[in-house]
Amino acid sequence: MSKTFDRFAGIAFLLIGLLFVLESQRISKSSYGSAVGPDIFPIGLGAVLILLSLRLLYETFRYQAKTESGEPVLYKKFLIIFVSALLYAALLEPLGYVITTFAFLLIAFQTMERGKWIKSIIIAGIFSFGVYYFFAEFLGGSLPGFPVF
Amino acid sequence: MNTLQFLMDGFSIAFQWQNILFAFVGVLIGTAVGVLPGIGPMSGVALLIPVTATLTAGLPTEAAAASSIILLAGVYYGAMYGGSTTSILLNTPGESSSVVTTLDGYQMAKQGRAGSALSIAAIGSFAAEIISLIGLVLLAEPLSNVALQFGPAEYFSLMLLGLAAVSGLAGKSMTKALMMTVFGLMLGTIGIDAVSGIARFTYDIPVLYSGLEFLTIAVGLFALGEVFKTVLERDHEDGTMAKIGRILPTRQDLKESAAPILRGSFLGFFIGVLPGAGATLASFFSYIGEKKFSKNPEQFGKGAIAGVAGPESANNAASGGAMIPLLTLGIPGSGTTAILMGALIMYNIQPGPLLFDDHPEVAWGLIASMFVGNLMLLILNMPLVKVFAKIIQTPKKYLLPIIIAISFFGVYAVQYTTFDLYLLLACGVLGYLFTKNDFPVAPLVLALVLGPMIENNMRRALTISNGDFSTFVTNPISLVLLLIAAAWLLVPLLLKLKGRSVVLNEEG
Repeated sequence: MSKTFDRFAGIAFLLIGLLFVLESQRISKSSYGSAVGPDIFPIGLGAVLILLSLRLLYETFRYQAKTESGEPVLYKKFLIIFVSALLYAALLEPLGYVITTFAFLLIAFQTMERGKWIKSIIIAGIFSFGVYYFFAEFLGGSLPGFPVF
Repeated sequence: MNTLQFLMDGFSIAFQWQNILFAFVGVLIGTAVGVLPGIGPMSGVALLIPVTATLTAGLPTEAAAASSIILLAGVYYGAMYGGSTTSILLNTPGESSSVVTTLDGYQMAKQGRAGSALSIAAIGSFAAEIISLIGLVLLAEPLSNVALQFGPAEYFSLMLLGLAAVSGLAGKSMTKALMMTVFGLMLGTIGIDAVSGIARFTYDIPVLYSGLEFLTIAVGLFALGEVFKTVLERDHEDGTMAKIGRILPTRQDLKESAAPILRGSFLGFFIGVLPGAGATLASFFSYIGEKKFSKNPEQFGKGAIAGVAGPESANNAASGGAMIPLLTLGIPGSGTTAILMGALIMYNIQPGPLLFDDHPEVAWGLIASMFVGNLMLLILNMPLVKVFAKIIQTPKKYLLPIIIAISFFGVYAVQYTTFDLYLLLACGVLGYLFTKNDFPVAPLVLALVLGPMIENNMRRALTISNGDFSTFVTNPISLVLLLIAAAWLLVPLLLKLKGRSVVLNEEG
């Protein structure tokens, strides 16, 4: 549990709550003249979230910050995998499923642990081709297979 | 038609060859999910929804829904069996409800009795599932008949109770749990409003019109969140695995565990039926109970077989019991059942009192298949436990990237939008951050599933009462439900103020 995170989350959720209440005012009122339109529920939720966020912020001033356990956090590995996952998502449609999945898996395997290239290539290959052929060819699903030039 | 007749019809569905196959695949994957530390039943089920959706694509809706839910439920109860394996062999629980099993299970393994512990866990789980299934069969009709009398006001209050129960017991801070619940409800309002047809919070972005996809959010928060956590905080080195040895329990073992299994089953069943109190609590209470009942309580923690038999039965019975509110009332009592409910809704099948009338094939087919699946699990787990134990050794290096790839495939193959892939990644990061900082994610998913229904029932009730909010408290059943909901939130708070420690449910 981290005080900084809790404070940050408290403020973020407070803003989300405010935004919800304000934006809900712009939703048109009920179309059939009933007292309960599509705006009531979101306004109520926004108000409750604001109250809860204030309560959380108040709580962060009361408890003692605990010393963080000395767990080493491997940001570098995570960032490489996360950025390659973003690229995977962005390139999936233009480059097709097989190529992007193969590339992503290979990069991720090697990021997790260097070496054993041949084994990595084989596993990545079996997964990407296997899933594509099983799903698209055998089951008749649709996936962008290969780039269309 | 009476219950028995319905059950027989259910068996005729469960015995169709494709459904036997689905149940088998489900329990097999479920056991693997339970055995692999890091993937719990929630992420396992969430990951498999898209896969089953594509597998059943050619079938008519009703049959497709029955087959998918048979597979997904198999994963759920299979994981409950598998979770004990790592607890016993590695002293590492495969999922949270097997935490207590480590206490005596690992000690037994150290004494060379791993085989007995594993087989007693399997036998106990089997007995517990069968007992809770019989309970489900007996209670399904009467409970759904009661729920059929409910109007919108009662339904609204009942769902609030479900939300309150899950948020009240989840995580360390109730403020945070409630914030996640409200946030989940808010996410559920994005999209076109079902009653008035007005777009809310969409800002002319076309992908938002149909709302945020439940599947993407669940897979992101649970499966990817878990993967990111393992990548960021490499788990400590894997312990040495105990040898299994003789698999069959001795007659003495059986004698000592029979009573704990029975007690654990009934206790687990009743705890499972209560919303919010899940398998983790059930196994915990069963352990405490067995220690009290035992003639040699000093044996506990040193390899008492009752300390494995009781909790393992209780956690399986609880997962069976949790199906009751889901199927009969349409209120999921835990994170995993919320995901199962989301899966049913994807097939346009609304769990709840009408389920047994409108879709008897789905409801009774599922119940019957659970009998079949549990028998399969018992048969699988006794001789094959050594094979499953091998799964533990799957290197994380390959496992984690493949889980990311499976979730990408699953989400894309169902949604066909890159937007959902970005949303998936964002939910993965949020899932990691939230869980790490004690913001429980199970209430968020539950709220996301229940949100639209809560709102519709609220508005229907208010339309009937001409906008008078007092309709929720003047209606007696609704008032009682609301009072229980309030008590669920207030009692732990009061106990805390008095300085009592409150048992928390960390599983979803």
